[in-house]
Amino acid sequence: MKVEVEKIGEFLWEIPRSGRMRVPGRIYADGESMRFLLKESGTKQWDALTQVRNVACLPGIVGASMAMADIHPGYGFPIGGVGAFDPGEGVVSIAGVGFDINCGVRSMLVDVTKERIELNRERVAEELFNSVPAGIGSTGTLRLSVREIDRVLVEGASFALDRGYGVEEDLEYIEEGGTVAGADPSTVSPRAKERQRRQVGTLGSGNHYLEVQYVEEIFDEEAASAFGLLPGGIVVSIHTGSRALGHQIGTDYQSVLRKASAKYGIPVTESELMAAPINSPEGKRYIAAVRAGINCAFANRQAISGLVRDVFKRLFRLDDGQIRTLYEVGHNNLKLETHDTAEGRRNLLVHRKGATRAFAAGRMEVPVRYRRVGQPVLVGGTMGTSSFILVGTERGMAETFGSAVHGAGRMKSRKKALREYRGEEVIRDLAGSGILVRTRSMKGAAEEAPGAYKDVDRVVAIMEGAGVNRRVARLRPMICVKG
Amino acid sequence: MTGRGHETLEHTADMGLRGWGGSPAEAFEETALAMFDLMVDRHGAAAETDHRLSIGGRDLTGLLIEFLNELLSFADIEDTAFVSVRIERLEGGGEEWDLDAVIGGIPRGKCRKRLLSEVKAATWYGASVGRDSDGRWVAGCVVDM
Repeated sequence: MKVEVEKIGEFLWEIPRSGRMRVPGRIYADGESMRFLLKESGTKQWDALTQVRNVACLPGIVGASMAMADIHPGYGFPIGGVGAFDPGEGVVSIAGVGFDINCGVRSMLVDVTKERIELNRERVAEELFNSVPAGIGSTGTLRLSVREIDRVLVEGASFALDRGYGVEEDLEYIEEGGTVAGADPSTVSPRAKERQRRQVGTLGSGNHYLEVQYVEEIFDEEAASAFGLLPGGIVVSIHTGSRALGHQIGTDYQSVLRKASAKYGIPVTESELMAAPINSPEGKRYIAAVRAGINCAFANRQAISGLVRDVFKRLFRLDDGQIRTLYEVGHNNLKLETHDTAEGRRNLLVHRKGATRAFAAGRMEVPVRYRRVGQPVLVGGTMGTSSFILVGTERGMAETFGSAVHGAGRMKSRKKALREYRGEEVIRDLAGSGILVRTRSMKGAAEEAPGAYKDVDRVVAIMEGAGVNRRVARLRPMICVKG
Repeated sequence: MTGRGHETLEHTADMGLRGWGGSPAEAFEETALAMFDLMVDRHGAAAETDHRLSIGGRDLTGLLIEFLNELLSFADIEDTAFVSVRIERLEGGGEEWDLDAVIGGIPRGKCRKRLLSEVKAATWYGASVGRDSDGRWVAGCVVDM
């Protein structure tokens, strides 16, 4: 059934409440993006607007079922979806977190000139490619026992730090300090732990990447200065998540939450939107398991950041003080947060599926160094287009529970990308634009071709135009390492 | 659709799978092959190892999702690329279906160049098992890529 929308702002559209919807749907889009979404609604087997509407039917949802400007179809929730739930009446949903729990981005500032990277581009690419395990079935340098995995699930980034990956200061610039409380390893299956024993410190495959970028343009001098971003400055970004452990947690809890949906009489508009009341035993166990998955992703990125740090120290004779973590933030997450709402200040369980937390200036969760300007938001582009660093705004806090886009957003299916692009050609074209790609999978390169994605400049311009996020800097890729 | 077969379906971020055949077992096998085709180039590949898998106690759609997810976990733990599947038994009714399967694989270390993509999980999104208007069994779901 085709979804009806109303334009309520220059870049904001509403699916009015109707039927079983408990709140309206709100989508950040420009006219062209909305035309594309409407064209898919009612004609495609799965479409993002229907998913926004379905999420609006879940019990205890507060405000609106939202989608950021990188919206595209997911499973249950749309990618770019944000849903906040009342802890008393609300539910927790697997589809709002996804199977790559706390997939996210770490960006590091490296004190080396763009010219030195250009002169050593091949060598840097080769060293990174050889030093950071990536690709299907790749294993990390860490070989952990199940007992040690339990520590990973509780300690997060600190575990990797204790093993010699990275520096203490990194933790201050990771969301939650790199360790979320409330993780319970007993809620994670032995199989999930077994699968992760050799995967801590691995990049994975698909859209995960490791990029060396330079600051191409600065839009907000004050925020850029607070973040330490300078024109031409080098940034290294790592995009990965909780690997097999996160996948297995999602898999294991599908049957738990499916049974819970029936047990608690939760109306399920679509089968992957299975859910459990937040306060139910099933809901509490799932949340504790997700938190363990969140910590696993923190540990994974910390370990990789240590490998990256070692490469740059070795190649350019840098010391640890010349490599600083700008920030790390997830975009497949479930967080208990405090927000000011029409009903006053409330604790809410916020699902962000392919959406990034984007807190404004003044929030205690933002590192002291950035608190007067707001939290850095790391938005990955494509292999051939820019990435962005944004910052949260007060309006974003009020409208989106402090959320932002997470990337450009796919426009073409993987099948379509494979029909239209060849990996070797994509890599050759990018080399012609000064972007060196190292990958183990030509199929992956074709699927991730820049043309398969929306125009990231337009996506972030929509969010800025809506006043929800503000652009701080645009980063241009120089080297891209993929699994 | 011919007697038995499989295909992948367009999905912007992930991928839809569909398998069909003359029985639920054939539809399950074909759906599994559709998933393997995302993960490994099976063309001319011969299985070197056999792995047995038994699961049960689910409705038919639940059994499909669990079957596919078991294959993903199993492949990861065994560090193996699966290239063939044979369901030896699929029987039951209502909420209580069971299956036994034999899956043929190649150690990933021996077929790195054949590896294509990682599938994270089989989801309930678009999941179904049933007969189509021609009486064929059709199974499918969306997998997270």
